[in-house]
Amino acid sequence: MTSESVLTLRDVHIRDRVTGRDVVRGVDLDVGPGRSIGIVGESGSGKTLTCRAALGILPRRFTVADGTIELLGRDIAGLTDSQWTELRGSAISAVFQDPASYLNPSIQVGPQIAEVIRVKLGLQRRAAKLRAIELLTAVHLRDPELVYGRYTYELSGGMLQRVLIAAAIAAQPQILIADEATTALDVTVQAEILDLLTDLRDQSGLALVVVSHDLAVVAQVCDEVLVLHDGEVVERGTTAEVLYEPRHEYTRLLIAEHEQYGLDRFREGDRVH
Amino acid sequence: MSTENRPVLEVTDLEVHYGLRSKRHRALSGVSLSVVPGEIIGIIGETGSGKSTLARAVLGLVKASHGRIVVDGEDVTGYSGRRWRGLRRRGVVQYVFQDPLRSLDPDLTVAQSLAEPLAVHGVTGAAAHATIRQYLARVRLGEELLSRLPGELTGGQRQRVAVARALVSEPKLIFLDEPVSALDSANRVQVLEILKSLRSTGAALVFISHDLGSVAGVADRIAVLYQGELVEVGPAAEIINAPRHDYTRLLVRSAPTLHSSAADRAERDALRAALHG
Amino acid sequence: MVRRVLSLTSGRIAVIILGVIVLLAVFGPLISPQDSLAGSADTLAAPSWAHWLGTDYLGRDVFSRLLDGSGVSVAGSVQVALIALVAGGIPGILSVYLGRVFEWAALRLVDTLIALPFLLFAVAVVALLGNGISQAMLVVGVLVAPLYFRVARAATLQVAHSQYVEAAIISGVSLAGIVRRHVWAKVLPPLAVALAQTIGTGFIIVSSLTFLGIGVQPPAPTWGGLLATDLGYLSYQWYAPIVPAALIMATVWASNLLADAIRDVSGVNGRALLDDRTIRRRSAAAEGSIR
Repeated sequence: MTSESVLTLRDVHIRDRVTGRDVVRGVDLDVGPGRSIGIVGESGSGKTLTCRAALGILPRRFTVADGTIELLGRDIAGLTDSQWTELRGSAISAVFQDPASYLNPSIQVGPQIAEVIRVKLGLQRRAAKLRAIELLTAVHLRDPELVYGRYTYELSGGMLQRVLIAAAIAAQPQILIADEATTALDVTVQAEILDLLTDLRDQSGLALVVVSHDLAVVAQVCDEVLVLHDGEVVERGTTAEVLYEPRHEYTRLLIAEHEQYGLDRFREGDRVH
Repeated sequence: MSTENRPVLEVTDLEVHYGLRSKRHRALSGVSLSVVPGEIIGIIGETGSGKSTLARAVLGLVKASHGRIVVDGEDVTGYSGRRWRGLRRRGVVQYVFQDPLRSLDPDLTVAQSLAEPLAVHGVTGAAAHATIRQYLARVRLGEELLSRLPGELTGGQRQRVAVARALVSEPKLIFLDEPVSALDSANRVQVLEILKSLRSTGAALVFISHDLGSVAGVADRIAVLYQGELVEVGPAAEIINAPRHDYTRLLVRSAPTLHSSAADRAERDALRAALHG
Repeated sequence: MVRRVLSLTSGRIAVIILGVIVLLAVFGPLISPQDSLAGSADTLAAPSWAHWLGTDYLGRDVFSRLLDGSGVSVAGSVQVALIALVAGGIPGILSVYLGRVFEWAALRLVDTLIALPFLLFAVAVVALLGNGISQAMLVVGVLVAPLYFRVARAATLQVAHSQYVEAAIISGVSLAGIVRRHVWAKVLPPLAVALAQTIGTGFIIVSSLTFLGIGVQPPAPTWGGLLATDLGYLSYQWYAPIVPAALIMATVWASNLLADAIRDVSGVNGRALLDDRTIRRRSAAAEGSIR
C-alpha cells in the first residue's frame, strides 16, 4: 500500500510558532493513484494548513512540528527549494478558492498556461501553445482557442477555475489538491467542476485531495472522507461509512444539517433513517 | 381575515433594464410573483439571473422599466426618492446582506448599529435600549455583545446582529441575500432556526440564493429565475421532487447532496447539453 | 473623541504645544516688551538682556517681533485650513451625494483650480480685493482646497458604496444621518492629516507671499517673514533663523502629531489601540499584585 501511495501523512502536527500551540494534531492520510480523499472541516479546523504543509508552502508562522509527510515515497522534510520547484506542478499541484487571484490580469490566460508547459516540460513556444489548447479542451471549455486569448476579467469564475485546473495538470502531476476550489461558484458550475475532477481522476489516474466545508461536496467526489474539527481528525472512513455510520457528534451535525435543511430532506428513496 | 391574507408583496410583469442605449440590456422580464404574510419563499438564481435586481427593484434601489410593484398594499412603481424614503422610514421592508462583515459599519458598536433603524422611527434613549435588548435576545445573543465592534464578533454572531438590525423596525417583508452561505454548519442551523421562528411574527421572508439546497429546508415556496425570467414557481417539495423546467432539473441535480448517484451525473450531462445547445 | 485623543501621550503633547502656540497668538502682541516696528541704530545686535533674541537689520527687537507676529501667523494658517475645509472638504463629501450635475461641476471646478498658476491667481485676487493678510490667505485656502476635496471625496466614495450605507438607506436613514453616522468618522482622519499639513505649508506660503509684497506688508512681523529676512543676514547672525524656524516646526510637528492621534483613536484602529492599552495595564497590575 505505502509503496503505491502518492501522498502519505503520518501523525502530522502543525505548530503555530507565535503561540506555541499545535493547530493541527495528528493527521494521518494516504492517497493512492486514481483515488480521492476528502477533508471536511470549518474555517480554522486546520484543513488548509494540512494541505499547505503537503505542498511545502506553510506560512512562516507555522511549522510541521511532528510526524512525516511523504510525496511519492520521499520524505518532504529534507527537500531543498530547487527540489520543491521541480516537484511542484510535475508531482503535486493545487487549485484554490479564488481563481482570479492566481492569474495575472494583464496577460492573456492561454500564454500563462503555455509558460508552465515551457518551463516544466521544456516544449517550444508553438508546441506549448498547442498543448495548452489541448488542456483547455480537456477541462471541457467550449472554444478553447478563443479562451486562450482572453484576459481574466473576460472570463467567469467557473471558466477561470477550469483554466487554473488546466494549468495545474499541465505538467501531469500525480496528485491534485483542490482546496475549497468550488466554494465561490454557482451550484451548477460547482457540479461541472466536480464532474471534471472526477473525470480527470478516472481517466488519467490523478489522485485527488478535495478540501471543503461542505460534506456533500466531498461525498460527491471522494472514496474516503476525513473530518477535521479543531485541528484533530474526529472521523475517518469510506464515504459510505462516514455517511451511514457517523461516530462523532460533529459528523452527525454535518449530516443533520443536510437532512434537515438541505435537499436531502426531499430526495426520498436513499434517505437514512 | 382578508387583510391578513393580503399579499405583502405583489410584483406584476416586472421588467428592469440596465445601461444606456447600445449597452442597454434586460436584467428582468415578465416577472410576476406575490408573497403573503408569514410565508417563506426562496428565489433561486445564479450569477446574472437577475435575482439581486429583483430585490433591488422591490427595495426601490433600481427603477422598473415596466410592470407594477405593490408593497404592503401601496403601489410603489413610480415612487420618487422622497416617497421611497417615507416608505422605508416606516420600516416595512428590510434587507439582510450576504456578508455581515461588510454590511455592518466596522466603526459602530452592535448597540449603535441596532439603534440606527430605531432612531429613524423616532425611538431613542431608554425605549430604544429596551427594544434592542429584546431583539438581541430573539437572535439568541447575550447583552455583553452590545458594546462590541463587528470585528470583535464571530461570523455567526455578526450575521445574527445583521438579522436583528433588520428586525428592530418590525418589517412585514425581509429580503435575505444568501444569509447563511458565509457561515459554518453549526451557525447555519442556528441562524436558519431563528429565521424560521420569525414566521410567527407574521413577517414574510424572501431568501435569495444560488443554491436550491440552501433554502430547501426553510422555504414554503421556491421561485426559479433563469436569465432574467421566472421559469418556475411552486411549493418547495414540488419544485424539488418534480421540477418541470430543464434548468430547475439541472439545479436539483447539481445541488450537493449526501447521497448522489451515477444517475445524477448522466442526467446533469444531458440537461447541460439541452440548455446550452 | 477629545478624551480619547488626550489618553494618548502623543495626543497630550500635541495639545499642549498647540495650546502654547494659541496662547502666544492671543496674548503675544500684548506682552511684547518693545515696539516691534521701532528701529534703532543698534542693528544686528547679539542677544542681550535688553534684546533677548538680539535685533534685526533695522535694529528692531526680534523677541518683540516674534511675539507680535504670532497672532497674524497663526490666524493666517488657521484661516487657510478653515477655508480649505469649507471650500474643499465639505464639497468633497457632498459631491458624492448631491447628484450628477453638482458632481460634474465640482470636479471641473477643482480641475480648474489645480491648473491655475498660483502667483498669477494671487496677484489677480489681491488686485481685485485689495492687499492684506486675509485676502492672501483666501487665495492660499482656495488653492489648497482641491487637496481637501480629493481626500474627502476619496474617503466618502469608499464609504458610499459600502453595504452598511446601503443598509442604512434601506432603513430610511436620511442623507444627513448617513453622513453624520457613517461617513464623517471615515473622512475625518485623512482630513485631519491634510489639515496638519496645510497649517505647516500655510506659514511657508505666508512668508513667500511677503517676499512678493502680497499679504503682510513689510514692516508688520510674521514668523515666516522673520525667517525670510533672517536668511538674508545669515553671514552676520547664523543663529537668527533658529527661533522662528523652531516655532514653525513645533506648530507643524504638533499638528501632525495631533492628526496621527486622531487617526489612531478613531474607529476600529482606536478600539484596537485602547484594548491594547487596557490589556497592558491589566497585566502590569496583575504583576504588581503578585509582588
